Amino acid sequence: MLSFPTPSVYQSSKCFVTYGVMGHLDPNQPPTKSKPWSTVAGQDFINRVELIIPQETSEVVRKILNEKAAPEFQRMVMSLHDILSGDFFTEYIKKGNVMMLSEGRKGIDNVFTFRNGILTMLLDKEAYERAGLVGKPDGVKGKRGLKPRWVVEVDLTSSSMVPGKKGFDRLIYASKNAFNTPVTWLFCNLSSTIPNPDPLALHSPAKYAAEPSVLQNIDAMLPTLKPPVDAIGPEGREELEYFSTELYEWLSLVRLQSPRIQVGDQVDPYLCRYQVPGDGQQGKICRLTWQGFLAPSWCREILLNLVAKLPSKSWFSFSTTTFSKGMAGDNSEISLFRPQGAPGEYVMWEIKSHE
Amino acid sequence: MESTSQSSSKNQPIAAVLLSRAHDPEETKRILTEKIQQRPLFLCPSSPPPSDARAARRREREKKRLSRKKALKPKPLSANERRKLGLYDVPRSGQKYALFEPLHQLWLGYIREILGNEIHTGGEGAASKLTSADFHGAEVEVVRSGCVSRVGLKGIVIKDSRFTFEVVTRRNQRKLVPKEGTVFRIEVPLGGVPTATVEEGQSDENKQQQQQTEAEQPKMIFEVHGEQFQFRSADRANKKFRSHFSKIL
Repeated sequence: MLSFPTPSVYQSSKCFVTYGVMGHLDPNQPPTKSKPWSTVAGQDFINRVELIIPQETSEVVRKILNEKAAPEFQRMVMSLHDILSGDFFTEYIKKGNVMMLSEGRKGIDNVFTFRNGILTMLLDKEAYERAGLVGKPDGVKGKRGLKPRWVVEVDLTSSSMVPGKKGFDRLIYASKNAFNTPVTWLFCNLSSTIPNPDPLALHSPAKYAAEPSVLQNIDAMLPTLKPPVDAIGPEGREELEYFSTELYEWLSLVRLQSPRIQVGDQVDPYLCRYQVPGDGQQGKICRLTWQGFLAPSWCREILLNLVAKLPSKSWFSFSTTTFSKGMAGDNSEISLFRPQGAPGEYVMWEIKSHE
Repeated sequence: MESTSQSSSKNQPIAAVLLSRAHDPEETKRILTEKIQQRPLFLCPSSPPPSDARAARRREREKKRLSRKKALKPKPLSANERRKLGLYDVPRSGQKYALFEPLHQLWLGYIREILGNEIHTGGEGAASKLTSADFHGAEVEVVRSGCVSRVGLKGIVIKDSRFTFEVVTRRNQRKLVPKEGTVFRIEVPLGGVPTATVEEGQSDENKQQQQQTEAEQPKMIFEVHGEQFQFRSADRANKKFRSHFSKIL
């Protein structure tokens, strides 16, 4: 019919900076509920993880990573009906601990995600009306009545989600009638046991192991790696803002492999006026990158190990980026930096996209 | 002076006396002659009809009201009377799905007869024939609805009213399905070659579907947009359907 383009207000991503103290790490009871651990574990699906460390600590980090490699993830083509029936349902969904993400851009296509036992479907109006499942409007006030999009959440691990029960039968009906096209899924098994025979083998998955790509011995100019003393308290807000902006800029340039941070870089000031802040210290740094379908619980464990096992005076920076949400393609990110010589402190940048 | 005014008042009409209190003598005389003694008395005050728009609109309204009242004689039944007479009650024994199966078969034969060869080609021709068809005895399934709990309802139509379908499901339940915001799917099996599907009351989209199992034959499947279908089956026979912009799509 006549389609008017839906008006949308683009809001840029916002960055929240936290400068705090990590608290004592008890190896028997790793912390889960306090910041920064809860923010790291609270993200949904992580696409990239980047770690920047001084070169001297790279051996220690290598040992940590050998112990805790990233769980491998797989990509296959399945329909929603395949997930809800058969061995896959009983082994992986009901008993196992997995996370899955379907293809599609959120806000444009129909996207399905499965995490912590809850299947979330982000649907457009036609798919929602054809599915017949109860859901809530998506977006601020359901986009105020213009072609609303809908979110349907179903808890698949509950005891009422069993073939034969009404709620589950409605889900099966929807998967046969409204969602019967097969889509590509990313799948990650978070538990270490694999059921035998593997129900996933029917769909010929492509397996990927997330190996880090390592860049070593980068000769770099280092900025001041410790927040200024007067950054604490309400009077120090400006100081904190300057410090955190400059440090984040430097970390981003390292992540981008920019030549501007390297020793001996001479670029025409007409082209670029960037200078590394601080007093011109030099050092060697090492950068590791993981890209794939990663679990926030794994990220949290790596972070814990890093904090516990790296020498307490050395600094490091750890950042996780999620899959993009929404039409503008912005993703949200958490970067954590432990300052040099201050083992209990951290600076955290949370970048949240609008949708 | 008083006596002269009194003597003159006996000769003059009372109206002149009253007017002379308010106006000067010339005015008094003018008003008396023009507006009182020579006042025109219309024998038929409202003919010719007044030319101002307000009065004309009023007359139209009155005429319409009277004609509507005449059309309702004899008066239609009120809701209470309908309920008391029990015209549309279906007794428990009559709510069986198995009872309406033969009606459904009859209906299938009737539709095949109406469509003739159009059942194979589908498209505009089939659509126009189906709009004037009667749907009592059709097996409808709700395929899309603004109210999501209705999706998946399937049954044989036992009553086709202006805004709803009353339907008996396979589990012998009588369900009343509103037509608003709902899309119904109807399947007509036939013995033969691949079929096409048709959407009615809308600009057409064609869907191909063919099912060849031993038990099933190829079917003609069409979807009805209830939003555009809100007419009694009797009224629909001569209605011309045009594509309308649909809010729900």
